[in-house]
Amino acid sequence: MLSGCGFKDIDKRFFVMSIGVDVAKNSPKKYLVSLKFAVPSSSKDNPTEFMIVSEKADSMAEAVRIIKTKVDKEIDFSHAKVIVYGDEVVRQKENEGINYWFNRRRDIQSIAWIAIGKPSALDVLKVQPKSEYIPSNALFLTLGRDGSETPYVISEYIFDYKFRLIERGIDPLLPIIEAKKDILEVNTVGLLNKKQLKLILEPEETKLLNFLRNREEKSANKVSKGGTTIVIDTHKVKTKYKIHTPKGKAPYLMVKVSLEGIVEEATRTVPYEKLSYFEKAAEKKLNKDIENVLMKIQKANIDPIGFGLRYRSRHFNNDDWEEWKRIYPKIKFKVQSKVQIEDTGLIE
Amino acid sequence: MPSNKVQSIQESITSKIMHPEDMVFKENHTKEKYMEVLYIKTISDEAVLHENVLKPFFEITGSEEFLNYLQSHPKISEFESEQKTIDELMRGVAILFYQDFVFLFDCKIDRNNAVMDTTVETTIQGPQVGFSESLPVNLGLIRHRYPNTSLKVESTEVGRLSKTKVMILHDTKFADPNTLKRVKEFLANVDIEMFQTGEQLFDLIRKSNRALFPLMLVTERPDRVAVNLASGKVILLVHGSSYAVILPTVMKDLMSSMEDIYQTYWIAKFLQLLRYTAFNLSMILPGLYVAVSSYNPELFRVQLAMSIAGSRTGIPYPSFVEVVLMLFMMELLTEASIRLPKAIGPTATTVGGLILGQAAAEAGLVSNIMIVIVSFVAISNFVVPINAFSFTIRVLKYFILFLSTIFGLVGVVIGFFMILAYMVKLDSFGEPFLTLIQSKPNKE
Amino acid sequence: MNRYLFYIVLLNMIVNVIIFVPKILIQYRYEGAVMGVIIAIPIGVALNYVYSTTINKFPEQGIPEIIANSTHRWLKIIHLCSIQLIWFTAGLITLVGFIDVLARFINPEMPKLALLVIYLAAIFLIIQLPTQRVMYFLEIVLFINIPLIGFIILSAFTNEYLSWDSMLEVGTHIFERPSLKSIAAATYCFSSYSNLIIFNRVIKGKLKIWNFIAIFFLGIFNLFTAFFIPIGFHGSDGAQQYLYPWISTADSLRLVYSPIERAIFLFLMFYMSITLISISVNWHVSLELIKGTFKDKVSKKKNWLVLIFYASCSAAAVIYLNTVLLNKITIYWMICRFGFEIFLVVLFFLWARRRTA
Repeated sequence: MLSGCGFKDIDKRFFVMSIGVDVAKNSPKKYLVSLKFAVPSSSKDNPTEFMIVSEKADSMAEAVRIIKTKVDKEIDFSHAKVIVYGDEVVRQKENEGINYWFNRRRDIQSIAWIAIGKPSALDVLKVQPKSEYIPSNALFLTLGRDGSETPYVISEYIFDYKFRLIERGIDPLLPIIEAKKDILEVNTVGLLNKKQLKLILEPEETKLLNFLRNREEKSANKVSKGGTTIVIDTHKVKTKYKIHTPKGKAPYLMVKVSLEGIVEEATRTVPYEKLSYFEKAAEKKLNKDIENVLMKIQKANIDPIGFGLRYRSRHFNNDDWEEWKRIYPKIKFKVQSKVQIEDTGLIE
Repeated sequence: MPSNKVQSIQESITSKIMHPEDMVFKENHTKEKYMEVLYIKTISDEAVLHENVLKPFFEITGSEEFLNYLQSHPKISEFESEQKTIDELMRGVAILFYQDFVFLFDCKIDRNNAVMDTTVETTIQGPQVGFSESLPVNLGLIRHRYPNTSLKVESTEVGRLSKTKVMILHDTKFADPNTLKRVKEFLANVDIEMFQTGEQLFDLIRKSNRALFPLMLVTERPDRVAVNLASGKVILLVHGSSYAVILPTVMKDLMSSMEDIYQTYWIAKFLQLLRYTAFNLSMILPGLYVAVSSYNPELFRVQLAMSIAGSRTGIPYPSFVEVVLMLFMMELLTEASIRLPKAIGPTATTVGGLILGQAAAEAGLVSNIMIVIVSFVAISNFVVPINAFSFTIRVLKYFILFLSTIFGLVGVVIGFFMILAYMVKLDSFGEPFLTLIQSKPNKE
Repeated sequence: MNRYLFYIVLLNMIVNVIIFVPKILIQYRYEGAVMGVIIAIPIGVALNYVYSTTINKFPEQGIPEIIANSTHRWLKIIHLCSIQLIWFTAGLITLVGFIDVLARFINPEMPKLALLVIYLAAIFLIIQLPTQRVMYFLEIVLFINIPLIGFIILSAFTNEYLSWDSMLEVGTHIFERPSLKSIAAATYCFSSYSNLIIFNRVIKGKLKIWNFIAIFFLGIFNLFTAFFIPIGFHGSDGAQQYLYPWISTADSLRLVYSPIERAIFLFLMFYMSITLISISVNWHVSLELIKGTFKDKVSKKKNWLVLIFYASCSAAAVIYLNTVLLNKITIYWMICRFGFEIFLVVLFFLWARRRTA
C-alpha cells in the first residue's frame, strides 16, 4: 500500500549534488550529461564520498533515464544546487531544451546556482577541494556568498537566469568557474545574449559590473597618483543610473556611483591632507574604467544590467522596445563617481 | 427497659447486618438506667465512645439527666429511618438504644488523615502540602485558604456499592449557575458500582464513555483548589481520595501549573510558551521525522539530509518501523519506571538510557538521530504539568505518526489540524475546551 | 465580534494568492488586467459594504432564518439551492486545485485520490461543527499562519532579485481596456463577505466603518502582492509561462539562516491548513443552507447522505479534471460567480429594504 504513495526511505535515494552539461565529443549525440552524487558515510570521521556518472544523450530527460539504470538507488534531484554548463555548450546556439528542463521539473530548486565551467563541466565537477565536507560544498559556499565574500563572483540563480532569457531589456550573465587541479577559481563572468555566449569579462571588469548591479560592497580598489599607489578597501558602494532622452539631442545614460572606504595598503605613507587628491584620482579612474566596461558591453550588443528594461518601464508607448533597440547601440555613457576615503586605517 | 418499638428496631437491625464478627452489642445497666450499644468495632472509635457515652452513663445518676445529656450532645443525632441508620452504622456510627429513643453517636475512626506532601505536582517554591485521604481534613485545608462565606458546600453520594461521599464546593459569587446545574445533573446520572476516586469520572463525562481528552482536572494541592474556587470553578472532594476534582476544565488550565503565579510575570509567560512548544513538538516530531526522511528529504538542508542518510545506513527496516520500535521501547520504559521498587529504580534508568539507546545504535537497530528524537519527545512530554494531559499527548502522537506514514508531510499538517478541530469541538460542561485566545462568550 | 468579519474576508484573500487569481491576472497583464484590478477594488469594497450592512440589520441570524418567514416558497427554494450550488463548487474548485498543487510539488507519486481522502476526512470533521466553533477554528488557524505567511511575503519584497522595473513595465499598460475576466478574478478576492450568509449568526454588534477601510487597504495590498510580485521575480514576459506563478515565486526565495532553506515548503505547509479551512468554510455554508431548506430537523442519515454526495462529487472532479481543463473552467466559473454575486447583493438589498421599511 505504501509503495503506491511514494514512500521511499532516505537511504534508498541517491542525492545529486550538482549537474554538468557538456558537448559530447566523438559521438552522434548532442550532450554529455554528468551527475555528481553524494555517497553518505555513517560516521562523522570520514567526509562524504562522491561519485560521478556521465552519459551521452540528445536531451536531458533521455540522459537521466539512462543514468537511472546505471545506479542502484533512486535518483533524487532535490538537493541539486549547482548546474554547470560546459564552455562549448554555451557557445552553441540551440540550448532551449536543456535550459527549460531545469525549470519544468518541480524537484530542482529554483534557487539552484548556474554557472559556466572551464575547460569543461565534467572537469569542474571532478574537483574536490580538501576543505569540503559534502561534495560540491565548496561550490555552494563560493557561489552562495556564505563563505568568502568577494566582488569577483557574480552568482546567478536558475529562476533569474530564466527571467533574463525571456525578458526583453535584460540579458543573462553567468559566472565562469575554472577548474585548476584541486582548486576552483571563480573570478570572471560570461555575458550572453538570448541564445549564446558573447563576451567574457576580465576580473576587474567583473568587479565593476558587480558594482553597477549594486550587489557587492566590499572590494579593493587600486589607485595611483604621483608615484604612490594605494588600495582602498571599500565598505559601501552604491550605484544609480538614469536614462535621459532629451528631445532633439542625443540620448545619454547618467550613472552615479558613490563609494566609501578606508585605505588598506599604501606604498608610502598617506597623510590626511593628501586624501582628497587620492579621492579625485580614484574618481577619475573609476569613471574611465566604468565607461570602458559599459562601452565594451554595448559593442557586443548585450545588456546585462537591464537598461532596456528600465527604459521600457518608464515609457508608456507600446513600441518602446523597438525604440530602445535603436537607441542602445548609440547611447553615450556618462559616469559621475564620488569617492570618499574615510581614513587611512590604524596608521597613516 | 427499652420500649417494644425500640426493641423491634434493634432486632431488625441486628438481623439485617447479619452478625459480622466485629459487631459489638452490649447491654449497659446501672441502677436506674439501661442502655444498649451497637457498633462495629473496626470502624468505631471505642475510646471516644467510652469517653463520651459510657463514662457519663455511669457518672450521671438520673435517667432524665442522662437523656438530656444525650439529646444535647453535638455528636449525637436522632433516629430517622432504619435504612439510614444501617447506612450510618456501616460507616462507624454507634447506635444507642435508650428508653424510647434510638440515638446515633458519631464516633467514626478517621485513619488516613495524615496530611501528605505533594508528590505529583511539585513546585520549586510555594506550599508543598497536599491533601490527605480523609474528607473532613481536606475540607478543613481548603477552608483555611478560602475563609469566605460565599463558599458553599453540598454533599452527595456516588456509587451503588461503594456509597462514596462526595462534596461539591463552589463559590456562589463567581461560579456559573448553569455549569453547577450541569455538574449536579452529571453526578446524579453517574451509574457506577464502585467509586473510589474522582479520576473514574473521566470516562463518564462523555456520553459515549470513551474519552481521549481529560475534561476535568485532578489535583492534590489545596492552594490550586483555592485559586480555582476564586475563578469560579466547581470542586469535588471524594472521600478516601487525596485528589480533588476541578470542573470545568479548559486547555488553559491543563497547561498551567502553580508556578505561574509564584514567579514573576515574564518568567511565567516564558514557561507557558515553553510548555506549548513542548506540547506541539512532542506530538509532531516523530511524524515529522518519518515524513521528512521518507517522503520529502528536500525539506531540510542538504547537510541534515546527508546526516540522516548516513546514520540510517545499515538499518534493515523502513523509517516508520524504526520510529514505532523506539517509541514502544520508550513507552515500556516510562510505564515500568512508575512501578519499579525503589531499590531497582536507578539501575533501570541506567539500563534504559545507556544500554538500550547506545547499544541499539551500535548494533545497527536504530539510527542515532532516532534516539535523539525519541528522547526529545519523551522529555517534552513530561513538561506538560498535568499528568492526564501528558498521557493524552502520548496517544495523539501515534495518530499523527500513522497519518504521516501514509500521507507524508500532508499527513502531519492535516493531522495536527484535525486534532485542533477536535479540540475546538469539545466542551467541558458548557465551556469550550480551547479557549486559548478568544474571549469567553458568556463573560461579555 | 467585528473581527470575525475581518477573518472571513482575510481568508479568501489569502487563499487566492495561490490558487487561481494570479495566473488569470498575469495571463491578461498586457490586455487590461491592471485597469481591471483598479476597477475591481472599489467594486469589491462596495459590494462588501452593501451586503454586510444589509445583513447586519438582522442580528445573529443566518439567511435560512431570515427568509424563513417569507411567503414565496418556491422562490426561497430556488434562491437557497442556487447559493448552495455556487458555494459547493467554490469549495470544490479550491479543493481540486490545491490537490493538484500538492500532487505536483509535495507528493508527486501519491495518487490524487489518497490526498483527497485525507482532506475529506479533515473537512468532514470541521463542517459538522456548530457555526461558532468553525469561527473559533478559523481564528486559531489564522493566528498560527499569518505571521509566517507575512514573513514570507516580507522576504519576497525585500529580496534583491525582485525587479521593480518589470513590475513598472506591466504597470505602464495601465490604460488598456479592462477585460471582464480580469475584473471577475480580481473581485474574487473580496467576495468572501458572502459567507456572511451563515456566519452572520456569530457576528455580534454593529459593524463599524473602520472594518471596511481595513478591507480596502488589505485588498489593495493583497491584489498587488498576488499580481505583481511574481512579475517582479520572473519578468513581465516570463511570468506568463509558469503554471502556478506564486508557488514558483516562493520557490525562488532563499531563507539563508533557517533550517528550511527553500521557502516553498514553508509556504505550502501553511497553505495546506489555510485551504483546509477555506474549503471547510465554504462547505459549511453550503451544508447549513441545505439544512435550512428543510423545515424539520435533519436526521443523522440525511446528514450522511449529503456528505456522501459531496465526497463523490469531489472524487469525480479529481479524477476527471486535469489542470488545463480546470483552469478553463475556473475562468468561466469566476465570471458566472461575479454576475451572480452582484445579482444576489442587489436582490437582498431590495428585499431587506422592503422588509424593514
